[in-house]
Amino acid sequence: MVERARPISELDDIDALVRTYRPRLLRFVAYSTGDPDLAETIVQDTLLRAYNGRERFRGECSVATWLTGIAIHVLRDHQRTERYRFWKKVKSTAIDVHEMASFIPADGSSPEVQLLAKEKVKHLAQVLETLSQNQRTIFLMRFSEEMPVADIGKVLGMQIPTVRTHLHRALKAVRSQLGAKI
Amino acid sequence: MTPELSTHLSEEAIDDVLIGLGSPESDAHLAACSHCRGQLEQFRSEMNLFNQASLAWSKAKSATILRAAPRPKARPALPAPAGWVLAAAALLAIGLPVWNHAHRSPAGDASDYASTYAPAPASPAGDSEAQIAEDNDLLRSVNAALNSNEVSPISEYHLSDGPHPRHPARPELRNR
Repeated sequence: MVERARPISELDDIDALVRTYRPRLLRFVAYSTGDPDLAETIVQDTLLRAYNGRERFRGECSVATWLTGIAIHVLRDHQRTERYRFWKKVKSTAIDVHEMASFIPADGSSPEVQLLAKEKVKHLAQVLETLSQNQRTIFLMRFSEEMPVADIGKVLGMQIPTVRTHLHRALKAVRSQLGAKI
Repeated sequence: MTPELSTHLSEEAIDDVLIGLGSPESDAHLAACSHCRGQLEQFRSEMNLFNQASLAWSKAKSATILRAAPRPKARPALPAPAGWVLAAAALLAIGLPVWNHAHRSPAGDASDYASTYAPAPASPAGDSEAQIAEDNDLLRSVNAALNSNEVSPISEYHLSDGPHPRHPARPELRNR
């Protein structure tokens, strides 16, 4: 009898994989690159690679972390190509922060509170755009994807002190630009 | 209500706590200092708003994308040897008739021509002369029966084949 190397998991069902992880991946890549159209391509490629290479997932981290790592590699591969550089010069899309801020869930609060929340979200999105790509990526991994610092280091191939340095710089920039030094 | 402390955590110490690398000292300070706790909560609250909105945005984007996700094969693929055998059989099935057609002998052509264009074989033994005569008699009787029952419109309405008395043929035409 042939022993299965890996138990059946959510990775074996590509529909479930896409349904469960696509939105988070798309958010991460879109805000990391600032280019939603590019993010669509990267996420599509990431999910396809993850499905085709699912035998290599050993369960040492969560599926979300594993997918984020693949997305980082796909993105780096993509950014090395001449075609990417060409199209970045010719045409690159930007995230519409006004549109994004309008997606704040209505929690029954007053219109004034909703408006204030929307302004805060817009401001934070604009502040993130001022960070370097490394800082922004690491910031999002920590504070949006809620990845531990050690996992961020593994995924990016960075030492933990380097990750901490990037996080400190990003946090300093974000907190100072958000105004009242929160 | 916790008393307000005169000293607060440094920015780096607050960042460390936010990053998840806080020390026991900073944890102890936060337990006692509402000011520093408030700074952490404010940042977390703003990040939470951003995360909710950006995820909702991303979900909406994902929902509108009509690209079909790549699907696994609906049925397991044949093993490679079976596939090759099937391909060879298909090749023979198509190739042999083509080869025969291209290399057949003149005799074969004649026989093919004979079988294709030869007149139909003679009537079977059952269609004898007597049978044919009998069939013809039957057809004639059917015709006679049909003719006797059907009244000709000419005789029914007393029409004649000649020129109508009220419209005699014109002489110039008749004379031609």
